[in-house]
Amino acid sequence: MSDFLVDLGANPTARKLIKSLGLPLPLPQPLKRERGAWKARPLMDAKVAVGATPGAELSAAIADALSAAGADPYVLEALRPAFREAGETHGRPAKPLEALGETAKLAAVVFDATGIADVAGLHAVYEFFHPLVGRLAPCARVLVIGRAESAVSVGSASAEATAAQSALEGFVRSVAKEIGRNGSTANLISVARGAEDHLAPVIRFVASPMSAFVTAQPIRLHDAAKRQGAARLTRSLEGKLALVTGAARGIGEATARTLAREGARVICLDRPGDEAAISQLARELAGVPLLVDLGAPDAPATIAEAVRAASSGAGLDVVVHNAGITRDKTLARMKPEQWDSVLDVNLAAVVRVTAALEPLLREGGRVICLSSIAGLAGNVGQSAYAASKAGIVGWVRATSARLAPRGITVNAIAPGFIETRLTAAIPMAIREVARRLAALGQGGQPEDVAQAITFLATPGAQGLTGSTLRVCGGAFVGA
Amino acid sequence: MAKASREPQTRRAVIVAGARTPFMKAFGDFVKLDTIALGGAAVRGLLQKTGLRFDEVESIVWGGVILPSASPNVAREIALDLGLDAGCEGMTVTRACASGLQAITLAAAAIERGEYDVAIAGGSDSTSNAEIKLPQKVVHALAPLALGKPTPADYLGVLSQLMPLSEILPQRPRIAERTTGEVMGAAAERMARRNEISREAQDELAARSHHRAAAAIAAGRFEAEIVPVQTPSGKWVHADGLVRADTSVEKLAKLKPVFSRDGTLTAGNSSALTDGAGAVLLMSEEKARALGYKPLATIRSWSYVGVDPADQLLIGPALAMPRALERAGLRLADVDLIDMHEAFAAQVLSVVKVLGSKAWSRARLGRDEAVGDVDPEKLNVHGGSLALGHPFGGTGARMVTTMANELSRTGKRIALLGICAAGGLGAAAVLERVEG
Repeated sequence: MSDFLVDLGANPTARKLIKSLGLPLPLPQPLKRERGAWKARPLMDAKVAVGATPGAELSAAIADALSAAGADPYVLEALRPAFREAGETHGRPAKPLEALGETAKLAAVVFDATGIADVAGLHAVYEFFHPLVGRLAPCARVLVIGRAESAVSVGSASAEATAAQSALEGFVRSVAKEIGRNGSTANLISVARGAEDHLAPVIRFVASPMSAFVTAQPIRLHDAAKRQGAARLTRSLEGKLALVTGAARGIGEATARTLAREGARVICLDRPGDEAAISQLARELAGVPLLVDLGAPDAPATIAEAVRAASSGAGLDVVVHNAGITRDKTLARMKPEQWDSVLDVNLAAVVRVTAALEPLLREGGRVICLSSIAGLAGNVGQSAYAASKAGIVGWVRATSARLAPRGITVNAIAPGFIETRLTAAIPMAIREVARRLAALGQGGQPEDVAQAITFLATPGAQGLTGSTLRVCGGAFVGA
Repeated sequence: MAKASREPQTRRAVIVAGARTPFMKAFGDFVKLDTIALGGAAVRGLLQKTGLRFDEVESIVWGGVILPSASPNVAREIALDLGLDAGCEGMTVTRACASGLQAITLAAAAIERGEYDVAIAGGSDSTSNAEIKLPQKVVHALAPLALGKPTPADYLGVLSQLMPLSEILPQRPRIAERTTGEVMGAAAERMARRNEISREAQDELAARSHHRAAAAIAAGRFEAEIVPVQTPSGKWVHADGLVRADTSVEKLAKLKPVFSRDGTLTAGNSSALTDGAGAVLLMSEEKARALGYKPLATIRSWSYVGVDPADQLLIGPALAMPRALERAGLRLADVDLIDMHEAFAAQVLSVVKVLGSKAWSRARLGRDEAVGDVDPEKLNVHGGSLALGHPFGGTGARMVTTMANELSRTGKRIALLGICAAGGLGAAAVLERVEG
């Protein structure tokens, strides 16, 4: 599952040689990732440029998120008062943007665009990013903070405000494609009224190496799910019980490991045929092995019973519906049983198992489903698979509303091309195209998806519910 | 954090007296005296000064950072070397630069718990006698020769394992964090930058430290605590060797930064490697009075904390000091004297700065108000480690002794001590003068 071009690109001599020879080889930037547990200061000593327009409303939250994460902020003059308190708290005094050395590279560029209320206001976005976009360090982060549509008041003037805020989405998607070859990402966080408190932990995730393969998308924060108490920044899943389906390998295994690293006790579920892998993983993570065939009629009851036993009746905090199958055939060639099994395991089982676990979910719980870029964009030979994965998107939206009063969030993750056993089986030529068409010019690792799932599982993701987070490296197609 | 308002003690430990050797620059006059010899000199001096009978001492609790690997329980070695009663037991503790204070608070706790009535606590270090370590690679390679019946082939095998030579050369000791690999000066340099502590402010603090220490020496203020030490060559050392009465901000400003080319920390505003020892005599109050001693002070409270060494390595006292005050039921405004260990001027000024910050206090202590502003007139009234030097384990006893004497001499009531230490540790203690 190695990518020759990424490996080659990691060698500075080869990189230089290929560049100077003018070979038409795309050399994707090896992505900076975090292999260990979440750190108290993921942006330690990272130079971050911060800008805002007049009337920006979230600069203090941005200041707090960045300073607490250990970043060294370089800010527009108007922002310095907003950064004063956070700087004092964390010993990270904000410096004027002009103090940034001529040759200094930026680890992140953050812009508070919440004050932009008309099309003319968008000029400030150009003005701020234009001189800085060439100064991004490899694997840097571009972050625009905007207002969710619902936060813009209804009225005649508001249509233009909505247009201006909506424009930011197209901006980050395009910037993501321009800076992707550098390993850098660009995302928009749009914040609904009342969800301001949910912003800091999301900035922390999106600005950190934890979000290596998350790019070119809007992340919308709402105050929908009932608020929970203050959360810790590290080991934030301590004392929590998580269930991961399809945990024997690939994304499921990586997810079980990542959740355990943040302190969760993990029930590792897979088919009875995977007993060896599951028991070994559960032993290593000090978790609980659970062998269940999700297609079996009694599977929901069996799982609920196992959860009850594992938690001594205390309940479950996190469910990750990761198990899934593909039976790729064009519609003309697809057999009915193929269609049925894909929809049953990928979608119906999610509905059934969640229904059985719902009474066991604790306040502030998490339901996380695996969708797919294929589900969002469609793919030849994947009518059943894409249908099941698009179904997930609708299901999380509807279920999130129902569980919000209990503080439970329900989200989907849509992975793009991820280097797994599944994708290794794709013919070489198609695989190459799939990799290179992403903004980041490479496939993702199972750990990238696991990190995003883990982020959604943390208390800091309380502002995200009913949404679908893409982990696709900026796939060429997609929502 | 639970509020530790301590129950009234039925027994109270009191500080009867303190003594220390002069503090000398490493590889100077004390080069031939190891940490046990230095500790012995301080304890002997303390016993002579107080006239305490040897068999009254029930325990020695000692702190040290560079412990001799062949005899790490320095406390017991001191007792045996001095010919104290064989029943005087000994324990040696290490908590980086807070080791000396740690020993003293441990002894106080043991006395208050009723373990014994009379203890000597303190610490010493001889950086001149830091052991040069062989890399573990060499140790492991030599094991078959040292532990078995080696054949010629074994010797050849060992030789081949020891290449390349660069990996087996003895390692120079350095004060670097094990987890981050960062040397302490570099950490302090980062703190200066992050807390915006200027070079001028650091040099001013350093100059003040020297001037105050020099004034204290000139006034004979340290005669009550320093015991002269005779070196193996027969030379008597009577006074601290690092204090420079003639230094000035202008002279200090000429020094080059040592930890970073564009940095602000110099040899002048950082404490020097030092050899020395300090010892404090602690007793239960009843015992002290029964023996006819006038107690100087008692330890109202203490606090030891840890902070992330990767963040601000030496900021710990800013947490430990308010916590110790809280345990004593006091506020910074109630404090008459503050003694802070000056590892680096930048570190002292960083701690002082955050103590004055409301935002910091809210985030780190969960309080609505700043801990308070530190009055420079109360801070390190007789200088600090920048001028006097810092024999790691010896500094705690030096601070306790100076402050206990100062409280007794001036009639002031409360002294607050703060010490930063490697590993991101911080320590603090509150001393109160004992009446009558």
